[in-house]
Amino acid sequence: MDFSFSEQQNMLRSEARRFLARECPKTKVKELEKDEKGYDSVVWRNMAEMGWMGLVFPEEYGGLNADFIDLMILMEEMGRNILPGPFFSTVALCALPILEYGNDSQKAEYLAPIGRGEKIWTLAMTELSGGYGASAIKAEAKLEGGEFVINGEKMFVPDANAADYLLVIARTAKGKVPDKGLTFFIVDARKPGTSIETIPTLTGERQSKVSFKNVKIAKEDILGKVGQGWDIVEYIMRKATVLKCAEVSGACQAVLDMSNTYAKERMQFGKPIGSFQVIQHKLVDMLIDIEGLQYLVYEAAWLLSTGAPCDLQIAITKARANEVYRSVALSGVKIHGAIGFTLDHDIGLYYRRVLGAESCLGDTDLHLEKVAVNIGL
Amino acid sequence: MDFKLGEKEDALREEIRKFAKAEIPPDFIYNFLDEESRDEDWAFTMSISKKLAQKGWLVMAWPKKYGGQEASYLEQMVMAMEATYWGIPGLGMGISGTAWVGPSLMMYGSEEQRQKYLPLIAAGDPDGVWCTGYSEPNAGSDFANIQTRAIREGDEYIVNGQKVWTSCAHRARWCWIAVVTDPNAAKRQHGISLLIVDMKSPGISIRPLLNYSGVHIFNEVFFDNVRVPAANLVGQENRGWYQLMQSLAYERHSVGAQIYGAGKRMLESLVEYAAETKENGVALSQNPVIRHKLAERAVELETLKMLSYEIAWKMGQGVIPIYEASRNKAYGDCLQERMANTGTEILGAYSQIDQNSKFARLKGAIQHLYLLFPGITIAAGTDEIEKNIIGQFKLGLPKSY
Repeated sequence: MDFSFSEQQNMLRSEARRFLARECPKTKVKELEKDEKGYDSVVWRNMAEMGWMGLVFPEEYGGLNADFIDLMILMEEMGRNILPGPFFSTVALCALPILEYGNDSQKAEYLAPIGRGEKIWTLAMTELSGGYGASAIKAEAKLEGGEFVINGEKMFVPDANAADYLLVIARTAKGKVPDKGLTFFIVDARKPGTSIETIPTLTGERQSKVSFKNVKIAKEDILGKVGQGWDIVEYIMRKATVLKCAEVSGACQAVLDMSNTYAKERMQFGKPIGSFQVIQHKLVDMLIDIEGLQYLVYEAAWLLSTGAPCDLQIAITKARANEVYRSVALSGVKIHGAIGFTLDHDIGLYYRRVLGAESCLGDTDLHLEKVAVNIGL
Repeated sequence: MDFKLGEKEDALREEIRKFAKAEIPPDFIYNFLDEESRDEDWAFTMSISKKLAQKGWLVMAWPKKYGGQEASYLEQMVMAMEATYWGIPGLGMGISGTAWVGPSLMMYGSEEQRQKYLPLIAAGDPDGVWCTGYSEPNAGSDFANIQTRAIREGDEYIVNGQKVWTSCAHRARWCWIAVVTDPNAAKRQHGISLLIVDMKSPGISIRPLLNYSGVHIFNEVFFDNVRVPAANLVGQENRGWYQLMQSLAYERHSVGAQIYGAGKRMLESLVEYAAETKENGVALSQNPVIRHKLAERAVELETLKMLSYEIAWKMGQGVIPIYEASRNKAYGDCLQERMANTGTEILGAYSQIDQNSKFARLKGAIQHLYLLFPGITIAAGTDEIEKNIIGQFKLGLPKSY
């Protein structure tokens, strides 16, 4: 049993925290909410130079060969600071499955440019329902004359506006079992027939609707095996969910820090409001929930890094992350009072982002249902 | 970073399972708190304490010279979790002795005291059963307001006053008591000391207090000119308050692990019950509302498990877990409440049946928890007091009371 991080991991965390505070202060976060691209290319390049995008890639693909826990630490810090941009889409949703399921030539072709910060990727999976069930996937890919032709519409594709490539899941065979007959395709975002329409969001994050009209894809651009795309979905649902939870956990820590500081400074009735038990206990409830969430995230990340089965722990972690983020962010706003309700203040950035994080990779109900199945119900 | 239990802990879990199968009759009703045992169960509880001692499990983490095994805090935590999971009584030796009197004597007791008292606790001996005299009628959460007075006379203290909510006083051989030794101290906290009182001393009288279920757990204890040898002062005179703050961390630190073990067992039995029980021809386990309630309890249990692991790990690193212990107690309390609510909702009309009735389901464990948990949330510091401690000691907030 060891709850500590290695010295290197502690360094990675403090470097990340310093870098993000310097390069992406909240003024920039707010500017980027209005920016068309949604991220800052200079910051993006600097992140690549520090090796963040390729953190877990093997050296042969230009990576640092770091551990999944290291990536989790980065995500936690990005969540704490808020880092607008396509890091999660590119690395968690796409690079990790390419690393796991890509063939040698795909890995050689795609990973190094991701690592260098030259290419941005995203995952086109969810459709009209916005949910993560296999039966929701209606987009079709038909084999015609040695090529696949994709037709369909994807909703809530994160960062598609900035993406060079899309990982697209589509139905290549229809059967009684919805998670069979699904296949992943690597799609160049400029392919004729691909169109991207921005979905305006409240979270400051970029979401798009992506339509495919007779988009022709060569057989070589299949990721993994034909008909076995759901395995890749499950893989993404494991790894990326834990990383999303790390981001949430970091965000919650930031909300607590801001609220705790404010409660010590803000005077009413001649005293800091943090001396009132109602406020103090709210902060303590936040702390208890956050520490619990943090350890769930660490446990799930550690289990993943060891390769142990951990579907139960991941579902538990996401269900918890959703609940904790919602309640912590709300408490944060309430402790700040009216100032917390303003555009000028930073706390609202977190409160709004709850909605994006919560639905990302499965809402609370979906994960509670997974928990139910895993405990024998 | 590593969250797995080692081979040692895994082997221990297996051994505890075997012990439970061999020693605990299937019809035994486990009450979570030893001190809740009725007279007819108390002898059985103590017989298990003795056997646990022989296995070296009663005070695992203590040094060998005082009867321990020098096991890690992690092993001790596994013991706490597994004992409540399997419903093994006797680990608390009534209450007090194993959990905090022992660790406190090791922190600030004299060597004579350690040698006199620790082996009795470690052996599971009836003379190793302790009670704790903290609360008084006007000193609950405001603990520094205690009035029980100890006046030094030669090589004795003369103790006068009244304690209340004293769990297990009717079983205990010793009382670990907080008294006022300097009523004129500038701060009340600077005039408190800790004494060991022999419960057989003349001048002590005990009056049972029944809880709202009619169960005898705690008592009022009256001290009328009770003579206590000065050698029974623990640590320094008038430093009792500060010593106690550390003891309370010990008192609370394992509560989370105990609640986890018992909660895990309860969740498993509810899952089984939901699968077996039909309403309108459909198993309760098919009802999405019930599925999600039980799933939420599983989420909270996993969280409590990690919080418990963290405390054991920190203690192994030499940390006295002040805020962590309060955190785990507060979270564990909340979990018990929700578990009791979910359980009674699932049992429906059957939740109102007396625990010992032949009509009771799941051995009445659910309704027992429903009746017990409010007491647990109050004992050893109410949730509100725990949150004050966390606010001050962890978040650095101003005193709020």
